[in-house]
Amino acid sequence: MASSLQRLASHYRKAYRSAITPFSRAFSTEDALVEAKPGEVGLVSGIPEEHLRRKVLIYSPARTASQQGSGKVGKWKINFMSTQKWENPLMGWTSTGDPYAHVGDSAICFDSEEAAIAFAERHGWEYTVKKRQTPLLKVKSYADNFKWKGPPKEN
Amino acid sequence: MGLGQLASRALLRSSRLTTATRTSHFLRTIVSTPELHNSEAAAAQSQPEPDLPKRNPVGGARIHFPNPDDAIEVFVDGYPVKIPKGMTVLQACEIAGVDIPRFCYHSRLSIAGNCRMCLVEVEKSPKPVASCAMPALPGMKIKTDTPIAKKAREGVMEFLLMNHPLDCPICDQGGECDLQDQSMAFGSDRGRFTEMKRSVVDKNLGPLVKTVMTRCIQCTRCVRFATEVAGVQDLGMLGRGSGEEIGTYVERVMESELSGNVIDICPVGALTSKPFAFKARNWELKGTESIDVTDAVGSNIRIDSRGPEVMRVLPRLNEDINEEWISDKTRFFYDGLKRQRLNDPMIRGADGRFKTVSWRDALAVVAEVMHQAKPEEIVGVAGKLSDAESMMALKDFLNKMGGLENADVFLLVGTQPRVEAAMVNARIRKTVRATKATVGYIGPAADFNYDHQHLGTGPQTLIELAEGRHPFWSALSNAKNPVIIVGAGIFERKDKDAIFSTVEAIAKNANAVRPDWNGLNVLLLNAAQTAALDLGLVPESDGSIESAKFLYLMGADDVNVEKVPDDAFVVYQAVPTVGDARDDWKIIRALSEVAGAQLPYDTLSAIRSRIRTVAPNLLHTDEREPAAFSTSSLRPEIKEKMDMAPFETAVKNFYMTDSVTRASKIMAQCSALLLKK
Repeated sequence: MASSLQRLASHYRKAYRSAITPFSRAFSTEDALVEAKPGEVGLVSGIPEEHLRRKVLIYSPARTASQQGSGKVGKWKINFMSTQKWENPLMGWTSTGDPYAHVGDSAICFDSEEAAIAFAERHGWEYTVKKRQTPLLKVKSYADNFKWKGPPKEN
Repeated sequence: MGLGQLASRALLRSSRLTTATRTSHFLRTIVSTPELHNSEAAAAQSQPEPDLPKRNPVGGARIHFPNPDDAIEVFVDGYPVKIPKGMTVLQACEIAGVDIPRFCYHSRLSIAGNCRMCLVEVEKSPKPVASCAMPALPGMKIKTDTPIAKKAREGVMEFLLMNHPLDCPICDQGGECDLQDQSMAFGSDRGRFTEMKRSVVDKNLGPLVKTVMTRCIQCTRCVRFATEVAGVQDLGMLGRGSGEEIGTYVERVMESELSGNVIDICPVGALTSKPFAFKARNWELKGTESIDVTDAVGSNIRIDSRGPEVMRVLPRLNEDINEEWISDKTRFFYDGLKRQRLNDPMIRGADGRFKTVSWRDALAVVAEVMHQAKPEEIVGVAGKLSDAESMMALKDFLNKMGGLENADVFLLVGTQPRVEAAMVNARIRKTVRATKATVGYIGPAADFNYDHQHLGTGPQTLIELAEGRHPFWSALSNAKNPVIIVGAGIFERKDKDAIFSTVEAIAKNANAVRPDWNGLNVLLLNAAQTAALDLGLVPESDGSIESAKFLYLMGADDVNVEKVPDDAFVVYQAVPTVGDARDDWKIIRALSEVAGAQLPYDTLSAIRSRIRTVAPNLLHTDEREPAAFSTSSLRPEIKEKMDMAPFETAVKNFYMTDSVTRASKIMAQCSALLLKK
């Protein structure tokens, strides 16, 4: 029983291999012929011409000044810099003519600058990277409150 | 030793027993994990320390080591970190990547240590330790995630919430509230408070800050901000116990150009933005990171918009420029963006009325008039807000703003930074407070919020300084890092070259410009002026307007209209907005085509590359750049004699300096309420 199952499995594997090989070869990195060039991802997925070459801004959103939490700090985002936005005259809702408008805002998020750049390059977008601003920790002490700061200035 | 082990084992067993009995209880008590309230048990658990993954400081923070030899090592949750001597336990935790909950501690204010939210466990310490106020000591073993720390936070949270109203649904802070977040993360799921909550009378802090003082948790951040950064000594804490409240004792509005920042630092909804009240929720907003244009500082800001509408402006961290503060003008001018806008091209007809026309007609008319005028009769005036690719590039002109903190003597020549560039003023104030730096000021009597010496009112004092006759000269010449700041008002004077050469002489004598220190700064009034100087747009002379036949005003509202001749054709181009308005550069490009002198760029990137060739530093917004504009190359040899008339104030009204701030209702309210003396 067990051996017959094994045989069956090996049979399947063989059949699969024959079916899969052409594909797997196409995706292997060794084959220089089918290396995906920057921007080809978009071509394959049928994205309209005008959106194939976009200007994007890669940045790391700053910490909200009004909040302490750091959960969202350090992520990298792609901003599509879409300005085609208008108030819909019928309902007053916001309409946009840019299919990418919300992709950058809410959909894609990267762990590192390099990952974001790699993504933008793969899609053939022209990107600029904005330097991330980080805080500077300096020595602080509670005792400073009671430090003698020289004689009081007379007014 | 064997006995100790036995004892701990026994303890462990007994604690396990209690767990077993407790879980069978029907009612859950407020203390979530009583059986683990035992540091030995916790220590026994955490003893076999596995390889810890690399941790990064919270928010990617950099650490400033004043003296690299003075580094000490502490352990945060078993993870060793090197920190400079004298840092607090909380800072050590931040470096180890642990964000300690807090309310009263703020990294840019002094330490108060009164909210107790930051309690952590420190080994061999009998009680939980307030990490914000406790200096870290070598070899300290800090535990932030132990039952003791958790229980301490839960207890503090319960006390804080006792008197905090449950009005999150109608609170403007809802959704971006530290108390809300931290009560979710560290608080208990029920309270034991059955009495009445206290209530506090609201205070009137002026047209910008809305107060709901019942929500206040007495963190005193606003008090510390007002005294330390804004320089207003009015705010304080009154009363004791449950009668304790923040206030000004006698009712006073907060007269500070930085008052809006208390909205940000308030961890609860006690201080919120008055103009933004009940307008939007923070999760509806989309933040766009940008640079402020209302002054020449180039503060980093985030513009929050809902749909096509700007809802508010918040500061964004940049240690070199604005830290995490912005001025009230930056924060509240945004309503001016929606009012008094030119949406369509208009031409004034024979009857003197403006008629809306199509872009095609408008451009044709302009081109025709332009052809009739002689080249010298064509004058262009770029306004203060002339935007984006025509002039944008809001980089700070003031080189080395962070460098201001290393200065020991300031000389302010004809400039009042408090109204011209509030963030620069805040920096100077910070330096004066921290290092007792001396400030000398030449100009009309002005209101400073730090100690300063009023040296004189006009060029006479400058000459005395240059010749070393003035008593202030000894302070200036003995200074290690002197800083001389020249105001933009100087450049509107006829004798600007003579004055500037005197200032340069002072700078040279005081050794203010060295390879390692550039102490000579020009404080301009607006971002466009900064960019314009970098692009080589230099003011020719005021007289040119008088002889103009064709005047092109690009967002320039400050031109003296009476000077314009009657027969001149004036084109006014305003800041673009929604509707049928176009970007500034597009209009000029279109006009160039109609006029037959086509400009070689038709896309944004083409213009940007053109800017790159003219002034490459303009394309690095966001970052602080050393000033590329060298004053000496622009200035011919001095022809005119110095005029002894005293300097004038460059900015009369802090709240209204350009077309957008003048259109703003909030700014109008501010200048009406806060500027009357």
